[in-house]
Amino acid sequence: MVTASTLIPLLQMFEMKGVYISASRGAAEIIQAFESVGIDVSQIQFIDLVSSGILGGTNVPYSNVHFVDSPIMLESILLRTLYILQTNQSERNFVFVDSVNALAIYNDDRMLAEYLHTFINTFRQQEVLSVILNVPDQTPPLVLSNLDLYCTDLVDRGQVVIH
Amino acid sequence: MNLRELGVVFPMQPVAMYSRDRCVTGVHGLDEILRGGIPYGSTVLAAGTCGSGKTTLGMEFLVRGANAGEACAHFTATEPSVKLLENIRQFAFFDMNMVDTGLINVFDMDVLYSWLGLEKSTFDLEDVHSLIKSIVDIVNTIGVTRLVIDSVTTLCYKIKSEQLIRDFLFTLGKKLATLGCTTILIAEITSATENAHWSSFGVEEAICDGIIVLGDVERMGHLLRFLQVVKMRGTPHSRAKHAIELTPLGVMLTPMLKWGAISDNVNRWGS
Repeated sequence: MVTASTLIPLLQMFEMKGVYISASRGAAEIIQAFESVGIDVSQIQFIDLVSSGILGGTNVPYSNVHFVDSPIMLESILLRTLYILQTNQSERNFVFVDSVNALAIYNDDRMLAEYLHTFINTFRQQEVLSVILNVPDQTPPLVLSNLDLYCTDLVDRGQVVIH
Repeated sequence: MNLRELGVVFPMQPVAMYSRDRCVTGVHGLDEILRGGIPYGSTVLAAGTCGSGKTTLGMEFLVRGANAGEACAHFTATEPSVKLLENIRQFAFFDMNMVDTGLINVFDMDVLYSWLGLEKSTFDLEDVHSLIKSIVDIVNTIGVTRLVIDSVTTLCYKIKSEQLIRDFLFTLGKKLATLGCTTILIAEITSATENAHWSSFGVEEAICDGIIVLGDVERMGHLLRFLQVVKMRGTPHSRAKHAIELTPLGVMLTPMLKWGAISDNVNRWGS
């Protein structure tokens, strides 16, 4: 619901298109959850980092789902996102990462911190809004301190805390 | 006495730098790495392990040239041209019209050997010169400005002496450069680790103006493709490893994460 409440204004008020990077659950499951609360997902392209690891997991009935083999292929995720944004016919785009905690399961702290630094700066340069989902008390301290440093806004369960 | 001797301090002046004209590859990220592109007329060795994206890179280089109206040629020795075109058609950047209209010319090396009467297992000096002459004639006749030979390794297997391979590549490179043709020679290597040679015969790398290495970094059982410009005469360039992805729009590059640029097992591929 935190995810849905963040996405709804982006899609409906700001008419943005975007990329949803799902590392915590398969994209099909997320799409079904969004549709059940009335979110139109046609403007979102999903990058699913989970389902390739499950035999038959990539057999989904949605055309807006892309697959990356594993959450450890961080550069591939970035390049796939850039590719989708390049094919998107929109000037206002967002990238949603779900979630840092899921990426932290597979990736070394230093590498994840470096990746998020690169990720945030790449999309900031391209004027793409990056939204990074994170459960702070389950995040490695090194990664968390970097997020504190580079993120401009902090939204705590729908409530803007720092702007 | 000049002003410097009198203690007059001059602010730093920009120096007019000579910069060579570039062949803009059009490959996403590669021109940034090369600070504008490959210097015109260069012969570049693109050495890579199997499945690292050598052929796609070479073909995209030609397609981007053809898009700009340049005549391009591709000599294929590793797979028949029909198969090559079928494989490349899946990429959105490729348009079959470029072949139909003669902007991209694909030649089977086997057919060329047959024309030249070179259907033999090894080539001598005379055969090598006849091969160079025919390639140069084709480039000259069509007015080719971008050329890819895929692969020079397969071709050099027929040339038994290192000296002859050196002569072949040096003479070919020199003649193509005089015609203003920028060439990518694709080479197959079995290892892209730091201890590896960038070519199969060890002479290709010394002859070429540039070396681009393509390979894989293994990370927890997954292979990530990488590209690294090791050498490029006539231009400053990045020498960092870049991760690559083969997308329908073509090859895309991003700098590889510093903490993730080393293979889990650097000794894989038998090096």
